[in-house]
Amino acid sequence: MTAGSTLVLGMGNPILSDDGVGLLVAGRLAEGPLPPGVEVRQSEVAGLRLLELVRGFTRVIIIDALKSPAEAGREPGQVVRYEAKDFRGGHRYGSAHSIGLDTALELGHRLGYDMPEEVIVFAIEAEDVETFGEELSPPVADAAGRVLALVREEIGA
Amino acid sequence: MKKVTVDPITRLEGHGKIEIFVDDDNKVQNVYFQIPELRGFERFCVGRPVEELARITPRICGVCPEAHHMAATKAIDAVFGVEVAPTGRMLRELLYNTFYVTDHTTHFYILAGPDFIMGPESDPAARNILGVIGKVGLETAGAMIKLRAEAAELISMIGGKQIHPVCGLPGGVSQAITAEQRDRMVEITAAQIEFAQFTLKLFDDVVLANTGYVDLIKSDAFTHATYNMGMVDEDDKVNFYDGKIRVTGPDGQELEKFDGKDYLAHIAEHVEPYSYLTYPYLKSVGWKGFVDGMDSGVYKASPLSRLNASDGMATPLAQAEYERFYETLGGKPVQATLATHWARLVELLYAAERAHELATDPEIINPDVRNIPTGIVGEGVGVVEAPRGTLYHHYKTDDKGMVTNVNLIVGTTNNNAAISMSLKKAAEGILTGGKEISEGSLNMIEMAFRAYDPCFGCATHTLPGDMPLEVTVKGEATREVIASVKRNM
Repeated sequence: MTAGSTLVLGMGNPILSDDGVGLLVAGRLAEGPLPPGVEVRQSEVAGLRLLELVRGFTRVIIIDALKSPAEAGREPGQVVRYEAKDFRGGHRYGSAHSIGLDTALELGHRLGYDMPEEVIVFAIEAEDVETFGEELSPPVADAAGRVLALVREEIGA
Repeated sequence: MKKVTVDPITRLEGHGKIEIFVDDDNKVQNVYFQIPELRGFERFCVGRPVEELARITPRICGVCPEAHHMAATKAIDAVFGVEVAPTGRMLRELLYNTFYVTDHTTHFYILAGPDFIMGPESDPAARNILGVIGKVGLETAGAMIKLRAEAAELISMIGGKQIHPVCGLPGGVSQAITAEQRDRMVEITAAQIEFAQFTLKLFDDVVLANTGYVDLIKSDAFTHATYNMGMVDEDDKVNFYDGKIRVTGPDGQELEKFDGKDYLAHIAEHVEPYSYLTYPYLKSVGWKGFVDGMDSGVYKASPLSRLNASDGMATPLAQAEYERFYETLGGKPVQATLATHWARLVELLYAAERAHELATDPEIINPDVRNIPTGIVGEGVGVVEAPRGTLYHHYKTDDKGMVTNVNLIVGTTNNNAAISMSLKKAAEGILTGGKEISEGSLNMIEMAFRAYDPCFGCATHTLPGDMPLEVTVKGEATREVIASVKRNM
């Protein structure tokens, strides 16, 4: 890894309908061309494994599906841009098996790892992440192209 | 008591929920827990070549892909009726035990750690992995992260990939390992044994040395006299990769021991209208409801039940810990849910020792790692002990090996009835008297749940490893929320 390097990380599950959108966008981005210092990876897991993936990069751009509560009033296909600070919570663990993004980053800092200075998340509101399948719903498939453009702009591709 | 019907469609909001209904005196009437459901798994699999299931099933969930890969691969061996090459079998078992080391370690530090190292009543803002490393020190946290990275390195040498192994093929594995790789594996597994011993020492110092914790572990609120299930080798010692399924009773005696392929003759599934998840029970004993005792077919399948269902551990250091475990907790069986955390560490040590044994066996670098199948049986069951309980994969295919039918019983599902009972009992033991329901007491109820390390990722095929959880206490008559705790990412 070179100084000033960027990791674009597509996350999700490739067999859970819209949950595959982050992986799909990363796959398309990887087809290139990419500016120097940019690496693209796909990951199907989060938490501590995420910490191991992002070490050493200056900037990390994550692409993932999102399922907001109904009261958020988001439409499938809507794209939301977050920065790491937006995730600042109480480091509560939501699951038995993984830790949140913010906790993973904080843990890395405390361990003295070379952690990214900037973390950006492009989240795509999903319609269905509860049915097994390899197809995206139409609004999410449509959003994939828009997110790809946004990420390209972000990395100067 | 008023009947409570819970409509799963309107209830589910994309995350796990524990709902506790209390009367006007805060006396617990009922406890339910719910989880989101994923749909269409069988339909997704039908019509595909059966070999693909070893790569598809690990993707149901990101938590224990290795367990699904192993159960699937064993089921596929059976579908093709092929004997596994001895070194292929050893490599699978080495990978699998190394996965156990990672999984059990992570569970202890991230999940049990906040409750035991910080304490159940501690400030929620500190009751997390960052609080834990503040207490145990950065050096320990760094060692845990290093152990995980090295385990991932070993798994990828055999599995071909770090996260979703692809090595399992009918009759063995896809490639042999080199002498250099073996040398590295010997190093890695030796370090894992040391770390497991260190972790057990930490458990001693922090938990067992604290009489308050020991009393909590032994308390009636966290105890259930159920049957215990676990896989055992020919000497009735714990084995994660292969063996027979043994069930022992609340009296500690063996009820039955069976081949995994006969699981349907021994396990039946009870259904409740409010839950997507079924409640497996022992057929020979029968379903008597959410009750414990000799007459109830409810069983546990967890690190604790595996220790209870076995006669010991097959490696020397873990065997010594096994003996100390029962001496300390008053003999077999131990039915205290919270003792599961200690049992998990005994298993951690065994997994590290077993991996080291396999890595140092000269046969491990034998290049002959696979027997090529020559025929097809068309049906197969593969069983392993997943960290969260016995995992059954059952496939049927046509004569070309295309999938026609898939049935899974996953680790957590085995424990569904026991978890429900533990939640209710813990709630009854903790929410007694007084109107105040503290965050600490809700956390204690969650502790009963977390001891099972429940993972509904694949239990109803839910979201990958992500299970935000909400505990709500409601008045039974009014349905008003009295108290609520949310664990969100």
